[in-house]
Amino acid sequence: MSTPVVEARDVTRTFAMRAGPVHALRHVSLSVGAGDFVSVVGPSGCGKSTLLHLLGCVDAPTDGRVFVDGADVSALADTERSRLRLRRIGFVFQRFFLLPMLTAAENVELPQAEAGVAGPERRQRTRELLEYVGLSARASHRPSELSGGEMQRVAIARALANRPSLLLADEPTGELDQSTGAQIVSLFDRLNADGTAVVVVTHDAAVAAQARRTIHMRDGSVVADSGSGR
Amino acid sequence: MIGRAFRFAWLRVRREPGRTALGVLGVTAIGALLFDMLLLSNGLLVSFRERLDRSGFDVRVMGSDNAVIAGPAIEPASALVAAIRRLPAVSAVQRVSLEAADVDGHALPRRVTVAGVDLAAPVPWTILRGEMPAAGDTPSGLVVNRNLAQQLGVDAGSSISLRGRCGSESAPLPLALRVAAVADFPNDASDALTAATSDRALATMCGAADADRADMLLVRSAAGGADAAAAAIREAAPSLYVVTNAQLVERFGRIEFSYFRQLSGVLTTVTLFFGLLLVAVLLTVSVNQQLGEIAALRALGLTRARVMAGVFCESLLLIGIGGAAAVPIGALLSMWLDAILRSLPGIPADAHFFVFTGHAVVVHAALMMAGAAAAALYPMRLVASLPVAATLRQEIGT
Repeated sequence: MSTPVVEARDVTRTFAMRAGPVHALRHVSLSVGAGDFVSVVGPSGCGKSTLLHLLGCVDAPTDGRVFVDGADVSALADTERSRLRLRRIGFVFQRFFLLPMLTAAENVELPQAEAGVAGPERRQRTRELLEYVGLSARASHRPSELSGGEMQRVAIARALANRPSLLLADEPTGELDQSTGAQIVSLFDRLNADGTAVVVVTHDAAVAAQARRTIHMRDGSVVADSGSGR
Repeated sequence: MIGRAFRFAWLRVRREPGRTALGVLGVTAIGALLFDMLLLSNGLLVSFRERLDRSGFDVRVMGSDNAVIAGPAIEPASALVAAIRRLPAVSAVQRVSLEAADVDGHALPRRVTVAGVDLAAPVPWTILRGEMPAAGDTPSGLVVNRNLAQQLGVDAGSSISLRGRCGSESAPLPLALRVAAVADFPNDASDALTAATSDRALATMCGAADADRADMLLVRSAAGGADAAAAAIREAAPSLYVVTNAQLVERFGRIEFSYFRQLSGVLTTVTLFFGLLLVAVLLTVSVNQQLGEIAALRALGLTRARVMAGVFCESLLLIGIGGAAAVPIGALLSMWLDAILRSLPGIPADAHFFVFTGHAVVVHAALMMAGAAAAALYPMRLVASLPVAATLRQEIGT
């Protein structure tokens, strides 16, 4: 069996609040393989986003361990986790979070520049990515000149800039209409088919239906996992 | 990393032109005041040094370290002057006595400060019209400043009578003098009435023709410099107070000018604090508006140091642009303020309160850069301690 792209082993995440501790995740274990397209569903506040943040190394578990490509990342320092995210994990957000002062191409170039990719190679890769998401003609447009669907496609291109093995998306269709959302989902499908593991947190049944594997969560626990679809 | 952070910061300041304009304008105004405080803190000293050097003498000899008017006179002066002149470290010596006199026969009372000097030695004034009087002139020649010439309506060739007001030795009779020249005197206030004649004529005017005294000796050093000349004079006349121009400036800065320095120091600190506060508030507001964006950048893999560098560069840009604009504006403002202060009565006409120096520009730049770093501290801390996951959750929840 090949090494999972990301694996959570018995992770717990508890937030200390004034009113008392909030257990966002309770003893969750799951593994995402290289070819997986996983959707995580469940009611609001059930811990979906917290799980995504733990898998994406932007948060650390209170208890348990997270492995990325077989390496334990739970004890990594902040800078090392940043480096890991930059090179191996792509993030797509509900609100896109494109930098408004940069063009679409510059937004896609940004993570590559941070990773030290040389200018010509960076520009070539950016052209390819924008073509991949169908936005070659919009390369020099700023986010304010793009539609919601276009912005999300730029965000996906940005997330793929450093060829990550894992793409994490938090409600990627939350701000889009149904037909635009469907285009985004089909883009994820294509990405997955091209070899990138995709984990999508969603409320959208259409998105969940497109995934090959669905994880249901409630009260911080995984209550159902359809298993690997591939 | 710094290059990318700078480019980002530049794009960010361009993205919010209103905020940037507000910040830059505020920093420019505060920076101009700060620059003026720096010019003021050193201006009088620089101006004082220039005035001393312009007189052509670099060592002063007095009866004590009191002010010239209050100090004991140097007596007998002639022998001492001759002894100092013979020193190899000395190039020239001038004796100066100062007394007050009233212009006799004039409708309005005019109190004049009259200097008695050795007309055969180099003199500290600059002749504008007329000729240098000689020691043997009859009647004695007088050099008057422009103000006195204008107020009395006299010029070279005119006659004038002065009645000495020399303390207890007041001369009962006025002394007739011939105006030989109109000149600019060093350290003259714009409203001062000043004249100079031979030391003999001054003694006569004071009713003590055989007196041999001087209030101060002005010495021009030889090639060895002022310090060597001062040391030689101290050895020859250990009871007298001998001071070089540099020592006088240092003493002036340490004692007489210390209030100015303290005042400008306090104002500089307050000004800098307000500039720092302005930029810190603008950056903090800006960072708070971009928390989601910053959290997303962190999630994408930008390090904590990288986003902190972005905030720091933004602060540097705001303060750098404002600070650079502040220098010419501050310089213009200082010229205006200098003109106001110089018009105060009793201020020497060639004195300046604000003097533009390269040193002030360098200190200004250093203070502004330090201000930029200090202003960025809190917003940088905000960015550094930003909980990425919680911020992303919050952004989606809002």
